[in-house]
Amino acid sequence: MPNADVVVVGAGVSGLTAALAAAEAGARVQVLAKGHTGTHWGSGGFDVAGLPGAATPRAGLRALAGRPGHPYAHLQGDVDPALEWIRTILTAEGLTYEGGLDSPLQAAPTSIGGTRPVAILPTAQAAGARPWTAGERLLVCGITGFKDFWPDAIAAGLSHPGVWGGGSRPDRVDAVTVELPGLAARHNLSAVELARRFDDAGWRAAAIDKIAAAVGGGGAGAGPGRVALPAVLGLNDHAAVFDELRRRLPLQPFELPLVPPSVPGMRLYFALRAALIRMGGRVRIGESIASVARDGKRVTAVATEAAARTSTVRAGALVLATGGIAGGGIVADNAGHLHETVLDLPIEAPEVADWLSRDAFDPDGHPLEAAGIRADAELRPVDRSGRPVFENVRVVGSMLAGQRSLHERCRDGVAIASGRRAGRALVAAKGPAAAPSAPAGSAKR
Amino acid sequence: MTIAELVRDAALAALEPVGYSADECLKCNVCNTVCPVARVTDLFPGPKYVGPQAARFRVGRTLPIGAPGTPKILSPDLTVDWCSGCGCCTAACPAGVKVAEMNSQSRARMKAGKLPKLRDWGLGQTDLTGRLGVLFSPLANWALHNRPVRRVMELAVGIHHEAPFPRFSKRTFQSAWKRRQKRLGVTTIPGPEEAVVYFHGCSVNYYEPDVAAAAIAVLERNGYQVIVPPQVCCGLPLISNGIYGEARQNAHKNLEILAGYARKGYKIVGTSTSCTHTIKAEYREMLDIRDDDATVVADATWDICEFLLDLHDRGKLDSSFGRLDEDLPYHAPCQLRSHGIGMPALDLFALVPGLRARDMDHDCCGIAGTYGMKKEKYPIAMAVGAPLFEKVRASGATEAACDSETCRWQIQAASGVRTRHPVEILQSAYLAGDAAGDAVEGGAIAAGDGSSAA
Repeated sequence: MPNADVVVVGAGVSGLTAALAAAEAGARVQVLAKGHTGTHWGSGGFDVAGLPGAATPRAGLRALAGRPGHPYAHLQGDVDPALEWIRTILTAEGLTYEGGLDSPLQAAPTSIGGTRPVAILPTAQAAGARPWTAGERLLVCGITGFKDFWPDAIAAGLSHPGVWGGGSRPDRVDAVTVELPGLAARHNLSAVELARRFDDAGWRAAAIDKIAAAVGGGGAGAGPGRVALPAVLGLNDHAAVFDELRRRLPLQPFELPLVPPSVPGMRLYFALRAALIRMGGRVRIGESIASVARDGKRVTAVATEAAARTSTVRAGALVLATGGIAGGGIVADNAGHLHETVLDLPIEAPEVADWLSRDAFDPDGHPLEAAGIRADAELRPVDRSGRPVFENVRVVGSMLAGQRSLHERCRDGVAIASGRRAGRALVAAKGPAAAPSAPAGSAKR
Repeated sequence: MTIAELVRDAALAALEPVGYSADECLKCNVCNTVCPVARVTDLFPGPKYVGPQAARFRVGRTLPIGAPGTPKILSPDLTVDWCSGCGCCTAACPAGVKVAEMNSQSRARMKAGKLPKLRDWGLGQTDLTGRLGVLFSPLANWALHNRPVRRVMELAVGIHHEAPFPRFSKRTFQSAWKRRQKRLGVTTIPGPEEAVVYFHGCSVNYYEPDVAAAAIAVLERNGYQVIVPPQVCCGLPLISNGIYGEARQNAHKNLEILAGYARKGYKIVGTSTSCTHTIKAEYREMLDIRDDDATVVADATWDICEFLLDLHDRGKLDSSFGRLDEDLPYHAPCQLRSHGIGMPALDLFALVPGLRARDMDHDCCGIAGTYGMKKEKYPIAMAVGAPLFEKVRASGATEAACDSETCRWQIQAASGVRTRHPVEILQSAYLAGDAAGDAVEGGAIAAGDGSSAA
């Protein structure tokens, strides 16, 4: 069986971040994941602390760190360096981000015609969140045959002053739909398919001609403005696609993230994965954990389900990055008991009767959202008395108890800060020492 | 719990019936993003559409396909036939939907009760074509590598004239093996501690005796005598072409022979990663064979690299590999991914001094068994594998490695780089070690050359 200094279960933002941090520190890392969720279902941006009412993410971060039991209580000081670190890695992979903890929270338009408070976005989404100047207009540009983006509905939504939360907003919002080359007969285009077409330089040039014509003659009059396009602007060659659009369109383009599968989320996944593989890590998708071998308070091996038997990886340490309730890391049975799916760790959660608030749209969210694994400052899972259950296990991302990330908009900040801390701590605790005379996790390069 | 206990507990919890897994589908479309076929052609809308989405409208799924009484209902989406069966969708699904398996069953249901196309039937008959090809090998090899003949073949039966075909052997591996055992005077069979059963598959029997030679040499070097019982095609080419009834007959023939060995404790080792996966998983999951034989045989079956890595893990692998100073591009085939065992070949290559093996990190070479041989699917298969071929070429290596035979043929034909089974590479490394041992001085100098590849 292969050996890994660190086995990471889960390939979302927190899992890949933990894997990168460990691999960078010299560990042999294997990522085992059941499938794609965290990245492919996300927007590709980094929510750190988009608290309504907070002027900046930093103010939100401080507020959350002050809440008893919130992951930021331990992680607050890690957030800045972790974001800077991951952005450096992503930039090297060709994926750039804009914004920071001290830039004011802005209302970024969404593809259902609302807005959300954001701070750190991929460059292609960032132009949508910058303050609007007087007289600036917004044109929402759809693509004929693409059903995940309804420009008229989006424009109608964004025309309501209320959705901008009292901040700056465009002078007017219009919609236009453009037919792209070779797609006239298509009635069910997908975002990924369109993104791959944009990767093709020849097709892209012709498509941008069409978009430029439609945007230029949009009937909305001349003047400064921006154009919102669906987030399909290239998958593998996104930077070049976006650069070309910026150069050739009369309005400043930006992307609106869409329903899953998310092209910006896939770009993030590909970039994180590429960086990890470059550092010698391995990523296995399609693996379900069958069981975990342990020796006292240490995990020693992880077995995944395989054809006719299980397949085992000897593990020096384990990172649990299984994504909480939404990611499948925590499941409920019919009796209202919650279970952690890999190690059967104790879960901190309200009683079933108190899972939900009376008000479906309670601004504080539902108590169940805060369910998760309680961890100490080193991110080791602890029992009710606060003692670590395992010495060489770290819990990261949405598995951590005490956050209501839907409402606190802290998912990515928690994921990246905890992932980096976990990956580094595991290597520091053990050193990148090899397990005894067994094959390396990957061919040495 | 110890690791040994953990492995012993391996018995897969009852395999989830494929059709019911459609209920787990959230319609998130992740499967559509990883489909190599949908990536290159508009003819296939993607695994979600023809899989879990259409599955709701297909009836009679509780009856084994082809069983009397199976309702003959048209598939709600005939484009399922464009699915290559690579399994990328099943691997990527976060909800555990067996998308590719569902598509294979839907194809079989669509074809049930109809005579298969001559071409599809023929591609499934690997034993028949193999026997005929070996019998008339000079003629068959001339014909299969003669352009006008291949053009006629394409017109007549729909096998693409450029599709990669290996050369037929002069005799089957089975008959060559019997001769060898007779020559060596082998009459007794040692117990399961000292012998393994070899499932060679059709590729070795009719086309690639070198793979068998390497596998046998490596197994014997590690203290295992090799038993080669009579066997037939595992049935995968039939399954892939939707001909489940005949596939089931093949499965029963193999199970009848192999179960006896498995019950005595012999391990069954195969060099074709697709055959071993078929025996491990598809007899039960796809063909719905649920008897004891299917289970004991599945539990006893190992892909050869999986087997060798297990030996190494228990400290029993002879690691006297000599130096192979070369770059080795490696492609992990789709069927290997379905095994769920990682990439054991890469772990083994890491034991060979000087060998710079590198995963080409590409999802599918395109051929998918017999898929890419078909006239209408050949261009799709070539487009699917194009980035892989380019990476292999760009590596500048003189040879590449891959565990699955049709993938090897595809990569070799499309990239021009000779592509071998990992066990052949390992045998070369053993021979290099032997040669270095014979010429101690030369070996010492070579070993002193520090690797700068890290």
